[in-house]
Amino acid sequence: MPDFLTRHIKDPGQRKLATAVQKGAYEGLRRALTMSRQEVVAEIDASGLRGRGGAGFPTGRKWSFIHAREGQSVYLLCNADESEPGTFKDHYLMAFDPHLVLEGVAIGAYAIGAHQAYIYLRGEYASVAATLGEALSEATDAGILGPNCLGSDFDLRIALQLGAGAYICGEETGLIQSLEGKRAYPRVRPPFPAVHGFLREPTVVNNVETLASAARIMAEGAEAYTKLGTKQSAGTKLISVSGAVERPGIYEVEMGYPLMEFLAHEAGGIPLGRRLKGIIPGGTSVPILTADEAAPLTIDYESMQSAGTMLGSGGMIVFDEDTRMPHALLRIAEFYAHESCGECTPCREGTGWMAWVLRRLLAGEGRPGDLELLLRVGDNIEGRTICGLGDASVQPVRSFIQKFRPEFEALEPAGMDWPAWQIHGHGPRTGRFGPPVEEAARSQPVEGSPDYVL
Amino acid sequence: MPIVTIDGRQIEVEPGTSVIQAADLLGVEIPRFCYHPDLEPEGNCRMCLVDVEGFPKPVVACATPVVDGMVVKTPHASPLASRAVKGVLEFLLVNHPIDCPICDKAGECSLQDFYMHPDYGQHPSQVNPGEKVHKRKRVDLGPRIVLDAERCVMCSRCVRFSENVTGYKELQFIRRGNHVELVSFQERALQDPYAGNFADICPVGALLSRDFRFKRRVWKLDYTDSICAGCSTGCNLRIDHFDGRIERLIPRRNPDVNRSWLCDEGRLSYKTLDVAPRVKHPQQDGEEADWVEVAAAADSRLRSATLGRELPLGALASASGTNETLWLFRRYVEAAFPQHLLEFRLARETEAVRERQDKLLRRVDKHPNTMGALHLGFTAGMGLEGLVDEAEAGRLGALLLLYYPPLVGEDSEETKERIVRLLQLVPESVVLTTHHLPYLAAAKILLPVAAWSEEEGTYTNYQGTVQHASRAVASPSAARPAAEVIGDLMRHATYGRPETEPGRVFAEIADRVPAFRGLRYNELASRLATAYPPEGRMPYGQDGFTGR
Repeated sequence: MPDFLTRHIKDPGQRKLATAVQKGAYEGLRRALTMSRQEVVAEIDASGLRGRGGAGFPTGRKWSFIHAREGQSVYLLCNADESEPGTFKDHYLMAFDPHLVLEGVAIGAYAIGAHQAYIYLRGEYASVAATLGEALSEATDAGILGPNCLGSDFDLRIALQLGAGAYICGEETGLIQSLEGKRAYPRVRPPFPAVHGFLREPTVVNNVETLASAARIMAEGAEAYTKLGTKQSAGTKLISVSGAVERPGIYEVEMGYPLMEFLAHEAGGIPLGRRLKGIIPGGTSVPILTADEAAPLTIDYESMQSAGTMLGSGGMIVFDEDTRMPHALLRIAEFYAHESCGECTPCREGTGWMAWVLRRLLAGEGRPGDLELLLRVGDNIEGRTICGLGDASVQPVRSFIQKFRPEFEALEPAGMDWPAWQIHGHGPRTGRFGPPVEEAARSQPVEGSPDYVL
Repeated sequence: MPIVTIDGRQIEVEPGTSVIQAADLLGVEIPRFCYHPDLEPEGNCRMCLVDVEGFPKPVVACATPVVDGMVVKTPHASPLASRAVKGVLEFLLVNHPIDCPICDKAGECSLQDFYMHPDYGQHPSQVNPGEKVHKRKRVDLGPRIVLDAERCVMCSRCVRFSENVTGYKELQFIRRGNHVELVSFQERALQDPYAGNFADICPVGALLSRDFRFKRRVWKLDYTDSICAGCSTGCNLRIDHFDGRIERLIPRRNPDVNRSWLCDEGRLSYKTLDVAPRVKHPQQDGEEADWVEVAAAADSRLRSATLGRELPLGALASASGTNETLWLFRRYVEAAFPQHLLEFRLARETEAVRERQDKLLRRVDKHPNTMGALHLGFTAGMGLEGLVDEAEAGRLGALLLLYYPPLVGEDSEETKERIVRLLQLVPESVVLTTHHLPYLAAAKILLPVAAWSEEEGTYTNYQGTVQHASRAVASPSAARPAAEVIGDLMRHATYGRPETEPGRVFAEIADRVPAFRGLRYNELASRLATAYPPEGRMPYGQDGFTGR
């Protein structure tokens, strides 16, 4: 396995500045500071590094969009609000190699001309905040960060901000709003953050892994990075794998690595010799893959795209043959219903509606046409919302129903007439979501399946 | 300048215009909840989705600026946009209580209107009443506003108004997803002196006016365009009345004067018309009299008290009268009394006319027509105080007073005392007024005149803009518009037949007074102001069975 990003992550004392520096920390920053800003951007551009937060946008290009006018401040925001279900890679980086992350932040800030950077840390990562904070003060005391970084004339202040626990704060503009002290309602684009971002100034928001990779690229050179991976997806990717695997965890893999090989070797295969049923390759916001679809794929942006899904954040969730897909989908749908910020109409009402229809299907109170209703609601959300959360909530619903339709059809009452109480609106008051999931599971046994709920 | 095509019709607009503004200029209807012409666009309701050529997805018309050559299709012309908007409207109704029969907004509710439109709504409901998210009902937001959180569509117009227009920042959303709910700061009563606007800008029945709630179905109301007479700002408003009674006042949109807003004092100013009993019949020396007699008596008594004794007439007309009234007042005084002291100042209106009471609309001068009085030559310069001094020195033969009690607030005690003193001092006094007020009791002759909302005419606001107010309701009993009453007095004085019809008087003013030159009565800018959303946009509010 390549160890481009995680070479020293397991070394004892890596969190301490002294040890980290011995292992080469801040060498990338030192090199960057000898170059001009444009050269740094060009180097990252040449490395082919793409955003590791999920969208996969080329990092060098993102940085090149910043054109500050006279008197404008530029900000670099490090998105450490890792909340995509199934994703836990950034935590690993920040908790075990904080100096690598800080170095990446410093390089990013230097490249775009920012003198103030913020690390927006997920509220639940309070322990990481302590680690990062300690590393930050150590590096600042040593003169690596702060005024005149590493003896250069580049000043940089890095501040740590903890979120209060909302998925939407990981959305680019939601994060900016939250950092400004406002309710994290995403902003309508355009204007994009590169023009009107934090405090209406030009802003770049980068994922933790992206910045950490940038630090390593600056240390090793773009060529070392392009040697790894495929032509269009260069370098390595952290994959956080969970679900039905023997060895769930975080793995650094080279782009283009076969997915099945990864599952079998790194993740240790599926427990108890069960068969693979499906894989969500990049966090729950991307469409699920069936076992057949997943078989020929490799871990990189293009291969995933060819199968109609995305590499996303690399939060891989594996389902074995015993998983009941409607139950799994309900978990996911309820996550989005809970986390929808409520700003724009389709997502606010649609995510709740989808979760509710799923819940009533699982409670045995489904109505004829419910599956079509779910798909129609999804169609009405997708592409109609301010930010990506709406689209993200639709992907699992649509792909689960399309790819595992028989399981869902088994829940839907067939051949029933449209009940009169529904036409007249005098239905039984079932409450918001019907009985809880556990009860629903008992009331709707699926033949031959063990009592294993994801 | 960019040219945009909307539903096949072209328009050239200023750079930076949004698609929805261009459509409004063209008269193409785009449904909207969160967009308001006087608020920053937010783009959260997603109701104004339109299909723009070259864009893969529908875009929001409110936050998309027009670029040259853009081709836009609204839901009326594009199946894609229509599908999108129908989807959004269906979402909005998922958790809406659909309690139109008991909702005060019914009849002027955007949600209702859009649902009835075949291009946006009329979908069969897929949700049962028992399955909706429940939120707080009848939330007390202070003396002006009641909130029904279940009806709210989270358009955030009120939040933005509170934050950006008045700056009180008293409203915000809490919770997430379909549990998002509007709350006031610490759930306290709203302090905003413009809180009444929340009920106007709320496109649905979530924020309701406590004053208007349960009073009248809106389709029963008659609408009359008028001008607020509560202060010198002259906000454009609409008087909504039923059966001769004013039920509410709502603002009309005039970007140059009040945008879409109205202060609470102005909004409730119609109530002050009821605080004192109205003068219903002319009174001469404490006895009820007949108009024909009393007008002749008023004129002859004033003239004998002044001309006979070679003393001047004190003529004070409050700047709450219309331009037409003040013009006739001045003409009468000048024609019939060679010696006169023409005055309009009860206190310090002239200095206060432009003085702001707050940063939005309210002004210190509570007279709607101070500028008009100045333009019409009421410039004696001594004020009420000076008239009292003259009377005390015995240099005043009689008093002709046109007095309207202020619609907002009250005249100071000092002013009232001076009026009392003046009426006691002069041997003859004729008072034209609307209400029986204790400080006018000493008047020898009391002539009832129409109050604001009961007469037609123009007012000149602090900016010098002449604005038109229509007559909405009838005056009680024998009260008549002041212009007509003065016309009667003139008839006796000069045996002429002066014009008292406001339009003709205005033409005369425009002809003779420089400040009014070139103005045409029927073309005053305030006549174009309409309530937002415009009434014409509601095709289902005025059908046959509602009786309008």
